[in-house]
Amino acid sequence: MRKSSLLALAPLALMAALALSACDDKTKPPAPLAGEVKTPASPEPSAPTPEDAPSDGGAEQTPSEPIPPAPGPPVQPDTPPSPSPATFDHGAPGAIPAGQGHGYLDRTVWAPAMCWPLQDAAFANSQVYGHGGGMGPGGTAQCDTVNYSLPWHDTFCEARSRDNPLCAGGGTGHQGQDIRPGSCKKNLHWAVAAEKGVVTDIGSYSVTVVSSAAPHRTYRYLHMQMAALAVKEGDTVVAGQKLGKVANDFGGTPTTIHLHFEMRAGVSGVTTDGKAVVLHTFLPPYMSLAEAYQRKLNGGSCS
Amino acid sequence: MRLVTGLALGAILAAGALSGALSQTRDAAGRPIPGAAPTTAPTAAGAAAPTRGATPEQIAARRAAALAARQQRGGQVDWQAAVGGLRQSTGIAEKLAPNLNQAAVDATRVPILLPTDTDLTAGARIYSFGDYYTITADAPGVGISLSGTTTVVPLPAGTPLKITPMGPEGATVQRTVDGQLVSFVRYGVLYTVEVRCDAPTDPRCADDNYVMGLAAKTTAVVMGAAARAAAGLGG
Repeated sequence: MRKSSLLALAPLALMAALALSACDDKTKPPAPLAGEVKTPASPEPSAPTPEDAPSDGGAEQTPSEPIPPAPGPPVQPDTPPSPSPATFDHGAPGAIPAGQGHGYLDRTVWAPAMCWPLQDAAFANSQVYGHGGGMGPGGTAQCDTVNYSLPWHDTFCEARSRDNPLCAGGGTGHQGQDIRPGSCKKNLHWAVAAEKGVVTDIGSYSVTVVSSAAPHRTYRYLHMQMAALAVKEGDTVVAGQKLGKVANDFGGTPTTIHLHFEMRAGVSGVTTDGKAVVLHTFLPPYMSLAEAYQRKLNGGSCS
Repeated sequence: MRLVTGLALGAILAAGALSGALSQTRDAAGRPIPGAAPTTAPTAAGAAAPTRGATPEQIAARRAAALAARQQRGGQVDWQAAVGGLRQSTGIAEKLAPNLNQAAVDATRVPILLPTDTDLTAGARIYSFGDYYTITADAPGVGISLSGTTTVVPLPAGTPLKITPMGPEGATVQRTVDGQLVSFVRYGVLYTVEVRCDAPTDPRCADDNYVMGLAAKTTAVVMGAAARAAAGLGG
């Protein structure tokens, strides 16, 4: 309805016209003077406990907004995907279980030199449809071992209510990749910078890092322990530098313990009705993450 | 309200009617793609077609095609149009952001756009990589980012985007996890206006009225030394 109403205003607009190894511990470099720090809104962190009892449920999704149904399978690519060098046990990109979204079948490694964005091992999978998730199996909890096991699963374009033009169906879906840390403990596992860049914004539950190298990918890290970040706005960071610890911060209502990792860039493409379009939008991070993780497993450098 | 913001957005879209092409197309690693296929160009001929009598959608398609074609040629910022915007901003822009880091402004090789709202811009911070900048500003309960870049990556052909560009600047609106994101092309530069709300239920992020209103008043042009030099205005 929103877009259709906007489209209806197009004539008005015309009228107006007429008128991983590198991910090891790294000390934080001195912060530059540039930039102003926003006060984190989240409360003081509690000490991590082995059996932390976070609020289970769907994250990045308010209860009042229903998730659009997505019954169909992912759209098949025109050409067979090329094999990935990642050999650890991980599901194929875009392989979203039936009823959980359309997925986006893309093997493009959008950030080929990216650093694995956590200091340790972690588990990429759905925290909405997984155990303990708001749409997950009933009677389960987020700390279930199945959530902390391989294989990885792609969650880009998993069914959500937010916009994602790359998702088949109605153009809505998950805008990033959900990653559970190595254990079901908040405020323990470090998230690190994926690339050299600058911390351009710190929100109430988000940290944004923009890569200094073209095409200046924007990385967004959500749900870290905001009251104890290792960086502040304006900081220049190197790949692998600690940003903060994975938690469940989500404004006033906690989510499950996970890192929502998002990658964006300016892109050019074509719309479903054949119009060329240039916009800033979300890129599927799954393959970049998988290869970065494999490099970490291999002991390679990410810088 | 919707009508007002729609008209306002239409006005700014119109203001950028001379916008041209993004300067280059790069691969996922950020390397320029020589002779890359114009993934965004329906037809090259459409780019040069006259706009008289055309619908807004036709104009948008032609402009996007022109943009894509210029990408393929390695086109540049439309400095003539940008200088026009700069002249219209004389006396305004200086008052909007007196506290922006001048070194970062001077290093930015694209026209910088600012909203005509001193409450927002007074404490704004700029971070620049030359061909990309972002300005971060705050209002109570909301964070705002204003960005511009000449670098885009082509998406795989055959994967159409589920989005509707609007007006001559091809404006798009996306709802994010924590806010709203508007993109549009002006002066051959991809600009974005994003709002992020601390509270998920904040009405400024629940719909696109606020971000569109903000985009509508993002009209003031600022050029630092690098941009002025590129525009032929001297450093």
